[in-house]
Amino acid sequence: MIVTPSGLAETLLWGVANGCIYILLATGLNLIFGVMKLVNFAHGQLLMVGAFIAYETTTITGLNPYMSILVAMGSVALIGIGLEKFAFRKVRGTEKLNEIFISLGLIYVFQNLATLLWVKNYNIRIPSPLEGLSLSLGGVSINYDRILAMVIVLIILIGLVFLTRKTKIGLAMRATSQKSDASMLMGINVGKVYFITFAVGAALAGAAGALYGILFQFNPAIGALPTIKAFAIIIIGGLGSIPGAVIGGLLYGIAENTAAYLLGGIWQDAIAFALLIAVLVIRPTGLFGEKGE
Amino acid sequence: MMIDSFRSRKLYYALAAVAVVAVLPLFVRSEYVVGSVFTLMIIFAVYASSWNLLAYSGQGSLGHAAFLGIGGFASALLATKMGLPPIIGLLLGGLLSAGIGLLIGLACVRLKAWFLAMVTFGFSVIAVTIISQLDPIFGGMIGFPTTPIVQGVVPFYYATLAIAAISIGAIFLVMRSKLGLAFKAIRENELEAKMIGINTGKYRLLAFIISTFFAGLAGGLYVESILFVQVAIFEPYFSFLPLIMAVIGGLSTMEGPIIGSVIIVSIDSFLPLTDKYLQPLSPLFPGVSNVGPPLRLVGLGLFLILVVIFLPKGITSLLHKAYDYFREDTSKAKKNGKT
Repeated sequence: MIVTPSGLAETLLWGVANGCIYILLATGLNLIFGVMKLVNFAHGQLLMVGAFIAYETTTITGLNPYMSILVAMGSVALIGIGLEKFAFRKVRGTEKLNEIFISLGLIYVFQNLATLLWVKNYNIRIPSPLEGLSLSLGGVSINYDRILAMVIVLIILIGLVFLTRKTKIGLAMRATSQKSDASMLMGINVGKVYFITFAVGAALAGAAGALYGILFQFNPAIGALPTIKAFAIIIIGGLGSIPGAVIGGLLYGIAENTAAYLLGGIWQDAIAFALLIAVLVIRPTGLFGEKGE
Repeated sequence: MMIDSFRSRKLYYALAAVAVVAVLPLFVRSEYVVGSVFTLMIIFAVYASSWNLLAYSGQGSLGHAAFLGIGGFASALLATKMGLPPIIGLLLGGLLSAGIGLLIGLACVRLKAWFLAMVTFGFSVIAVTIISQLDPIFGGMIGFPTTPIVQGVVPFYYATLAIAAISIGAIFLVMRSKLGLAFKAIRENELEAKMIGINTGKYRLLAFIISTFFAGLAGGLYVESILFVQVAIFEPYFSFLPLIMAVIGGLSTMEGPIIGSVIIVSIDSFLPLTDKYLQPLSPLFPGVSNVGPPLRLVGLGLFLILVVIFLPKGITSLLHKAYDYFREDTSKAKKNGKT
């Protein structure tokens, strides 16, 4: 393969666009981990469900796929609330591995329920009105869907920063993430904070799923790998840090796409995880992580 | 003295368990059940115990499949391509796995639990890529056949049992020794452990080496039991398996991973038999050709979730409760008899 400057620039740009979806997923995961100290391996399953909900909404009602993102966010938030209430809350305060175990059980449940419901729609994409249109600038081209995806991710992230920095519930979330016992003594309803945190995190996964469905083909099994990538990203960026997740997501997307461009698709996961290990060996708390206790 | 009697009691239970497992093939004549179910239970009991030891020292691994795979590939390559006796290949596979475990452990000895888990996971992904790219040595995506330490289903079963009994016994001794006490201290509070003079870095590395050695050994046994080695052994499924087995059985106990392995392997082997009873439900899901597998996997997922919600300390805790209840009953009966 011939490596050209414009080819490389295009790879970087596409890496950033792919990174955007990971950023959305990773931010939700990071929020849940930061506030609740919960490691949810089923987070990517929420992305998968979000993609199918957006697909069904678009095909059944004929809604614009970019509007169906809102539907996906709302429905996945509801599913998230159910998970928090009926599964994760039950094992809170026991062994930390029990929560991971529940999330592994949920992977079985979600993936196979989705297979039962949607196996007839294998490897589909949400039809976008911008299909096939792309912007070219000096040999570098990118399709409008990816540009719009980047804009949407930016808007959602600004909204999230507003929520955590400027609202009362955001203050309660930040307090709970620092010391849940002390927050409880200060009169914060920690149960309610957990509930809202999980709903917000799930909504972000739903949005990520809808965008994933617009950009890529999907099927009931797509949830597993993005979860792992999202974990890698929040670890690269540093646990509990939103800017960290953004930088981590961009780095990850770029590393993955560049590896695929230079070495071939099979290497993209290996190189991206090599980046993760390199970052951790140099800085054990991630790029933007707070110092451990 | 109490400790002595407690220890000897545990030893008797362990010997009784081994004896029961040893006579099983006399009653179960099916080669499939002995070779593909019982043997697998024993091998995964070793694998889950090795993972459990690492968790005992407060280090979570989500990439243990890497060490299972290294042990499997190394022992198979040594036996088939270098012509070494399979038992030597098995041991060298374990040692190689421990050596690589040492390198990974060195790289992440400063990391907190979940960071370490991600590094091990990342390593297993990297291993898949390297193995599947180096076709001439590792057989690419297809893999290659292996030779077992002994021919025949039943002899291999006994060989596996002997190796597993020694391995699990060794892991148990480590957990019960001063070393195990240090692991426990690190798990409970690393900072405090450091304060009372435990060299936490050294002990965490030791836990890593011992755990990865036995994981490699289990990998060698696994590929010999299925007579084939393939890159699929590195898949996340095999990394999550020991976690599921240890948690469902009971974390940080000796019997937990063993019970977990028996349960999960039984479910994997016998649950597919229920597929035909699930067929009447197929009109509910149009377009699905075979509703059996997805439906039963949904059931498995719900089962796992319910077990952990109602028995957060695993199935072992239920057995302990039953045992205590029974003992209380007999001691009460004795008292009543006296008065």
